[in-house]
Amino acid sequence: MASKLLIVDDEPLARARLRAQLAELAADAVIGEASTGLQALELVQAWHPDIVLLDIRMPGMDGLETARHLLRLPHPPAIIFTTAFNEHALAAFETQAIDYLLKPVRLERLQSALTRARLFTSAQLRELAGDRAEPVARTHFSALSKGSLRLVHVQDVRYLQADQGYVTVNFATGELLIQESLRALEEEFREAFVRIHRNTLVAVAYVLGLERDGVGNCSVQLDGLVEKLPISRRLLSDVRRRLRANAAGAD
Amino acid sequence: MQQQRAPSPTIFLPDLCGVRALFAVVMVSELLVFVLMLTRTGFTMSALSELALLSLYVQFIALSAAAALCMSRPGLSRLPETWAVLLSYGFILAMVSGVCELAWWVLNPALGDGALINLSHRDFFWRTLGISAIAAALILRYFYVQFHWQQQTAAEARARLQALQARIRPHFFFNCMNTIASLTRSDPVSAERAVEDLADLFRASLSDDRDLVTLAEEFELVRHYLRIEALRLGPRLQVEWRVAEVPLTAMIPQLTLQPLLENAIYHGIEPLASGGIIILEGRVHGADIEFVIRNPFSTGLQQHAGNRVAQENVRLRLAAHFGARGRLTPAVTGGEYLVSVWLPLQRES
Repeated sequence: MASKLLIVDDEPLARARLRAQLAELAADAVIGEASTGLQALELVQAWHPDIVLLDIRMPGMDGLETARHLLRLPHPPAIIFTTAFNEHALAAFETQAIDYLLKPVRLERLQSALTRARLFTSAQLRELAGDRAEPVARTHFSALSKGSLRLVHVQDVRYLQADQGYVTVNFATGELLIQESLRALEEEFREAFVRIHRNTLVAVAYVLGLERDGVGNCSVQLDGLVEKLPISRRLLSDVRRRLRANAAGAD
Repeated sequence: MQQQRAPSPTIFLPDLCGVRALFAVVMVSELLVFVLMLTRTGFTMSALSELALLSLYVQFIALSAAAALCMSRPGLSRLPETWAVLLSYGFILAMVSGVCELAWWVLNPALGDGALINLSHRDFFWRTLGISAIAAALILRYFYVQFHWQQQTAAEARARLQALQARIRPHFFFNCMNTIASLTRSDPVSAERAVEDLADLFRASLSDDRDLVTLAEEFELVRHYLRIEALRLGPRLQVEWRVAEVPLTAMIPQLTLQPLLENAIYHGIEPLASGGIIILEGRVHGADIEFVIRNPFSTGLQQHAGNRVAQENVRLRLAAHFGARGRLTPAVTGGEYLVSVWLPLQRES
């Protein structure tokens, strides 16, 4: 059976070895290569491989996060993780991947992983994505728009606002709608965001200052944003404490 | 993968329900009986029957105490150690008192007055309790010391393993193996050299680190290491050596620089898709040498625990060799992470 396979690894020699092994196992397969997570996301959308062999430790976006974005696609590829050392990846793997290979990969193991991968349907693959809190914060938000995946770097995001089951991700050049719970996002991005309202998290790095109007309502002014976002009274002291801690940490 | 280990005991008392432990209890009690018999003046024919009766009495006490400790051990192991010690001692003395009273009120009348015990009740009770208290204290002390000695041995073994892992990072090792596997097909000559380099690195890691080596030897090892990393990372890894100033005959603890360069690559170069440059600089300040290792540092990256382990290991070895003159200080300035190492300039003798 002819199939399209994508190898994602930042080390050229690691890719070369997998390519040689795949050529041995599936002579009629078409093999592509990517050296970063972002490149893999682009290639998967342009080229639609059936199976992606994904290294976990990579610069920029790591393999676990890449997999998470890939699984949002309407027809996600089957993902097989490869890694040299299984430090903390195991838990994440169990929910996202078809299989998990330790490098140097044995030919027999690779074959059984490929066989397993071909048994999965795309519906089953999407189910693997599941919505849950991540052990490690992502570097990007992603959403499908017109069939393709849009990515926004977390550092570019000014605020997150929940509205009717969706969360709006606001950044300098636009907005993104993602289908995640604000509570899970708050948990995942604890480091960079603070809750100012029942439905809003703001990026601490973008906060210019707090303002109080005539009737005692407080709002926050964000860098590059004309409108001010209201702070709920209940959370005001938390927000203040957080901004102070952040200012102290920056010095 | 977390390895399953047999649960280590958390209490100083051995399991006194086991056959081996019970046998030991019987033997020790019998030895105590012999000691007591030897203190008697004069041996008569009745000594044998006295020995038998005394054995019965002492074994009775020892086995009851062992049974009490055996049953209370699970409960005691949940208590703080001081409490466990005091309570087990208390249990033993309570059992002793119980058996002693039983012997006085049941055994003694049955054998006829004075046949067994020619002491007053009070005398009998206090002597039994006194001897038992001393013997029990000795035995508990023995258990206690034995337990802590075992604990310490296990802890030392774990520490040695951790030190070894700090020197040979699994991430590096397995990636290296993968690189060699890949080169074996495409470039057997490079594969061969990588195996040799890795072997040298391992030999150094496993050697006794009390030895000082010359800087020339340490540099050689670092070059072998960097050659392996260059195979993996290709043009992403650039290393600049600025070490002309330091004499190659200077002495340095083996594997001082290599683990720090490994850190620099793991934390500074690998997270960058386009790679970066590592600078190794050596300077002479009067009677001291300073090495500075710099690598790119981006704020988004956290320093992992592994970094600390390797640094701590180098720091400890520097301190062990040179006292206060051997130092290691990390710092972050701008977009750079740097580690500075100081050591006295000692030439090969």
